[in-house]
Amino acid sequence: MQFRTLPAIRVWCRTLATWGGALLSFSPMVSVSAAEGLQVQDLEVVGGEARLSFKPAPAVENYQVFRSPSLEAAFEPAPGVLRPGGWSGATAGEAGFFQIRIATVSTNDLLAANVLQRLAYGPTPDDLAQLRAVGPESYMAAQLAAESVPSDLDTADPAPRWVRVTTTGPGTASRLYVYLDGAGEAYLDDLRLVAGDLDDGTQPNLLRNGDFEGTLSPSWTLSDNVAGSARSAQIVHSGGAALHLISTEAGTTQDSSLWQSISPALSASRNYTLSYWFRTSGDATRLTIRLSGSGIASEHGLGGEPNSPAPLYARLEAGMANRADLRAWHLRHAIASPRQLNEVLRQFLENHFVTQVSKTQDYFDGRGYDGDTAELLAVRTEFVENRRWREALLNPQVTFHDLLRISAESPAMIVYLDTVTSRGDGANIANENYARELCELFCFGVDNGYDQRDIEEISRAWTGWRLELVAPENEFNPHAPRSTTYLDPAVTGSGLNANTNVVGVWAMKYRPDRHNERAKYPFFQWDASGRRGAAKQVPARFGPPWAGRSYGLPLPARSGTSGYRDGLDILRHMADQPFTQEYLSVKLCQVFIHDGFQHGYDFTDAETSPEEALVHACMRAWEEGSPRGQVREVLRTIFASELFRSHGGSLQKVKTPLEFVASTLRALRARRPDGTWTADADGYELYGLMNRAGRMRLFDRAEPDGYPEDAPGWISGGTLAERLRFVQSALMPAGMAGKEDAGRNTRVDPVGLLQLSVPESQWRDADAVAAFFLRTLFPAEGTANLLGYHRIAVDFLNADDTGSNPSPLAGLVPGSSAYDLRIRGMVALLMSTQRFQEQ
Amino acid sequence: MNIVSRRSFLSQASRLGLGAALAALTDVPLVVQRALADGGIGRPGPDGRVRKLLFILLRGANDGLNSVIPMGDSAYAASRPNLAIPPDPLQPVTALGPAFFPESGSRAGTYAHPYALPLGNGFAALHPSLKFLAPLYNSGDLALVHRVGYPDQSRSHFDSLAYWQTGTPRADAVQEGFLYRAMVESGLANTSPLTGVSIGSSLPLILRGSRAAMTNLSDPSRYNLLAVPNTPAANRKFDAALAAANEVAFADKRDRELLRLQYGNLSQTLELFAQLRFDEASNTYRDDVATDGDTDWAAANGDGYHLFPTTAEKNGGWLRAGGNQASKYVVPTGAHDFFEDLKAASIVLNKTDAIVAGVSIDGWDTHSDQVNPRDAASGQGPHTGAHAGLLRRVGWSLYALRKFFTRYADRCRWEDLVVVTLSEFGRTTVENSDAGTDHAEASVMLVAGGSVKGFLPGATGGVSRSGVFNCGGMGDRILPWRTGPTGSLFGADERYLKRNTDYRSVLGRILRNHLGATPGQLERIIPGYAVPGESLLTRGVQTRDGTEVIGEPDLL
Repeated sequence: MQFRTLPAIRVWCRTLATWGGALLSFSPMVSVSAAEGLQVQDLEVVGGEARLSFKPAPAVENYQVFRSPSLEAAFEPAPGVLRPGGWSGATAGEAGFFQIRIATVSTNDLLAANVLQRLAYGPTPDDLAQLRAVGPESYMAAQLAAESVPSDLDTADPAPRWVRVTTTGPGTASRLYVYLDGAGEAYLDDLRLVAGDLDDGTQPNLLRNGDFEGTLSPSWTLSDNVAGSARSAQIVHSGGAALHLISTEAGTTQDSSLWQSISPALSASRNYTLSYWFRTSGDATRLTIRLSGSGIASEHGLGGEPNSPAPLYARLEAGMANRADLRAWHLRHAIASPRQLNEVLRQFLENHFVTQVSKTQDYFDGRGYDGDTAELLAVRTEFVENRRWREALLNPQVTFHDLLRISAESPAMIVYLDTVTSRGDGANIANENYARELCELFCFGVDNGYDQRDIEEISRAWTGWRLELVAPENEFNPHAPRSTTYLDPAVTGSGLNANTNVVGVWAMKYRPDRHNERAKYPFFQWDASGRRGAAKQVPARFGPPWAGRSYGLPLPARSGTSGYRDGLDILRHMADQPFTQEYLSVKLCQVFIHDGFQHGYDFTDAETSPEEALVHACMRAWEEGSPRGQVREVLRTIFASELFRSHGGSLQKVKTPLEFVASTLRALRARRPDGTWTADADGYELYGLMNRAGRMRLFDRAEPDGYPEDAPGWISGGTLAERLRFVQSALMPAGMAGKEDAGRNTRVDPVGLLQLSVPESQWRDADAVAAFFLRTLFPAEGTANLLGYHRIAVDFLNADDTGSNPSPLAGLVPGSSAYDLRIRGMVALLMSTQRFQEQ
Repeated sequence: MNIVSRRSFLSQASRLGLGAALAALTDVPLVVQRALADGGIGRPGPDGRVRKLLFILLRGANDGLNSVIPMGDSAYAASRPNLAIPPDPLQPVTALGPAFFPESGSRAGTYAHPYALPLGNGFAALHPSLKFLAPLYNSGDLALVHRVGYPDQSRSHFDSLAYWQTGTPRADAVQEGFLYRAMVESGLANTSPLTGVSIGSSLPLILRGSRAAMTNLSDPSRYNLLAVPNTPAANRKFDAALAAANEVAFADKRDRELLRLQYGNLSQTLELFAQLRFDEASNTYRDDVATDGDTDWAAANGDGYHLFPTTAEKNGGWLRAGGNQASKYVVPTGAHDFFEDLKAASIVLNKTDAIVAGVSIDGWDTHSDQVNPRDAASGQGPHTGAHAGLLRRVGWSLYALRKFFTRYADRCRWEDLVVVTLSEFGRTTVENSDAGTDHAEASVMLVAGGSVKGFLPGATGGVSRSGVFNCGGMGDRILPWRTGPTGSLFGADERYLKRNTDYRSVLGRILRNHLGATPGQLERIIPGYAVPGESLLTRGVQTRDGTEVIGEPDLL
């Protein structure tokens, strides 16, 4: 951590009377208060001790108090101690002046924290170290050029290797099951179960034939689904043989697993440690080794990374993923992707161009598919849309229009806002749903440059935008015919052409016979009798270069396939209008800086806030680029702004549920030398919190406005209770009652992180342990401002589980369960505080 | 601060005489000491009980014209070829008397009746999925207020629902709810941990404000914390440490006051809610009659249907000897979660000091497939489908609330409660190409409670007082519904039903006559309430857009 003492005198406190006898108290007169936010609240002198109370300033590393008998004399450091919210020191009683100097977090560290809170899903310990080394600027530059950041998350680990897994928990039962969660195979070796919290290799293995050096029978029993399993002499971790587990279908319990009874029986009141080695593969199957009941359980994907998204990506590509898979894939990227900014932007796009997978599923339900297949088809529409955005974001010159068009032509959107059935032919009245939200939510912003008549004109353009089952090579050709490849060409009659018998993909299809072919006049003025007047003009408040521009878009009568161009022309036209520039710039500033940016600034008046000035700068960056509307130009403008880099952009937002779960995992996630992580999750279980703490049902929002960015939309007693439960549960060790809240595959090892990060001499030093986690969890808050939390954390570490009896951390043995639980409890406490809700 | 819109709004507001009221809203701290609060909000009346309010947000904009249907308007059926609910050949809508309640008995499906249910005012009828409103209506406890909207109506869901919740149409600078302000006016917001409560995914705007925390319960059965290790002692250690951490002062940031208030509210309310029973086993609340004439079910199960259908077993007459029967559900099975919320809200109102509680029903944005296509074989038709399923939630809710607060209430009786529905706007009079309706203007509000001035039969039959406002016949004495193919309200003003009542007049009536706000408080809760150009109190023209409205409807 870097310190920089600011030489400026921040606050003067002047005593009004000579310090004399005991119990005199003084009302300080604050003459200067230049420090941001620092307010002196009180000065009193009691029994020879002066006590200063002040409200903290942002990001203060240290408050230093100086004093001088007169303003002319030099100020000397005043001996005393800092306490939360104040300072106290002995005083001899003479008249004098106080001066408070503050040392703040260095601008580099502050920016690094801001960058990791905004361009990423929160800091990881490794990120913090990396940014300290390379500086935040180079990280920002790299994130803005995502194509230059290597990411192989979605490609399977090509080289199989042996990975060791270890887990500790109570011996609640004495039968051990080994199984896969589907058909597949795995190699397993050196399976050990020992008494205690650590396996140092010397304790006796409580399992018989855990190294598989002997024949499987009689030590192991094979149920039918794993009856083909055998010992392998070719692929082994150690010794002469390993287990080659072959599963024909998913196991769940004793009669669908490879198992043995442990004798003598384990004790439920003792802890045992399970460890084993497995060989990675590209398989999406998961391996479970557990005791019967709810004791020790270990579940791991067989992919190279236990929680690699690669198998999910393969499943999504194949159209075989359900919504839980899609969400897990999204969450794993949020936690682990090195292209963090693109993950943040992809979520922004998914939320801005919101769609609802259950509505798409209903659509396919009504087309002859069973419910499961309908879900796979619906999830595929969401995935394709997200994959296309992700590919587009790798283009250095990607424009808002590119992203808007991906949304408009996505089957997910066509179903969501009802264009799929809207007709404009004959006397049909077009459905206004998409037209309205295109204006209000996707481009212009509410009541910004359009009215009801424009919505009606635009709604007529979005007629004939439907879906069809086309050959895969025609997925992005809206004029392609229906696929004529059949699963079973022998079927006759209409059954041959039933959706379930057609090989193809569901894609956007333009139907000229459903289109409203008449001329359309979006953004014109109309008089009371319905006569068209002049084109609308950009209002004066936009100022140059926009004010006064006509932006009417006359569209000629079009028939046949050219009617499709009505919609494309409108998208092209609206994407770069100043209304869109303003609306999107404000939304991006809200995401990346704070929620106080407003729509509707008057850019011509003299009264200009930094927020308004930044929105204006973003609009210029949008307008002046070639091509116009480049997303990275707008982002660069935001990231270069003083607002983003200063306290104005630091910790000014509350985390959404997605940000909360991802940042919880990331905050404690460091890479161990063996390639495993000190915090990890499979992505599936994290959804529980997101749903419970405000129904953040990713990919499935009913309302088209997207999930809120601002705090009141997320923070209430009920949602905070869920967030706090989640954090406590995430920090629980395996097998503890309550672990199901965060999920048993949500594994966090704060002791492992501590041991990676601080020297062994500090492991039992409560002060050092508290300080490490405070600076890891709250890097932008400043050490001095964290003093209150620090004391609470130290007290927590030095008390037993009741909190009422002293039990110094120094007396606990690192590696013991008691030590582990003490640290877990303290970290869970810090992550349950108000400050961890912020970013 | 939204400089342009706030400034232009304020200048517009000052022209209307609203300036002072709004300045008070945005700039001046309100006095929150109980001792200084006047009026009766949250204060026990002479009978020792506090008057309370339960609101139900219908998010997405309810099609009021297919809820309380102007059957007497011949343009109705013609404008809605797919959506129109057919008239009952045996129940003429022109008859005067009580509302028609088609009891299903023990065999017919709960909602098999496919016809509109005449309300006995000679003109209007209920959607058959609202059939359980009929007994409520006939007991005089229900007001159906049609053609409700506000000046310069927004057709944006989000703006419009915000205006309903802030009580300040077109004032985008206002970020706090009118019920929040009502709770502040009670003087209890900062002294009692429970004043306004919502049950749902998040605290709705109607209860949000910057100076006091209202409470939101997402899942009442999970409203407790965990600790590591998860033992009672360690939980106490964690609670104490968290309480200490809550007191630590930090530098100001945008959301820190909100977090401080909500963390404080969480810690104050954990104990309160821990004493209430929200679990499924405690959901034993039942109707006191053989519901819907289902005497077979009542004989087999004792009492009538469960009031809060939170499981299939508790959903109407589904659970039957000889095979369960889906046609006997009173609400769609997808509504079980909502009734979990409604049950919690009812328990909270009855067992705690909370003055206001609220719940939401989502999904009213019926742009397409609002109804099922007609299909004689399956009995499907416009009386079934998405909108029907939503209406069933509302109809059963009000029926069940009356029973709950009559039969099980101790601290809050049915006479002490008003239930009100709020929805952002109505939907187009003419249907679109997708068997749906788009965003429009006026819609219908439902107000229920033991002290509501609803239907009164005449001494010798007929109607002495109707519970239907602004939809024809009796009770529509001021601005009648125009009918006929050319002059109908269906054709007037394009495809938009115009308002003749401002929603603030309905809310103002409730706030003053029921909750006990003084006129001064009402002016602070709904700024500009007494300003003549708003015409909220009495009949007049709303100057913002020149529309004539009736002022307060006489419903309480």
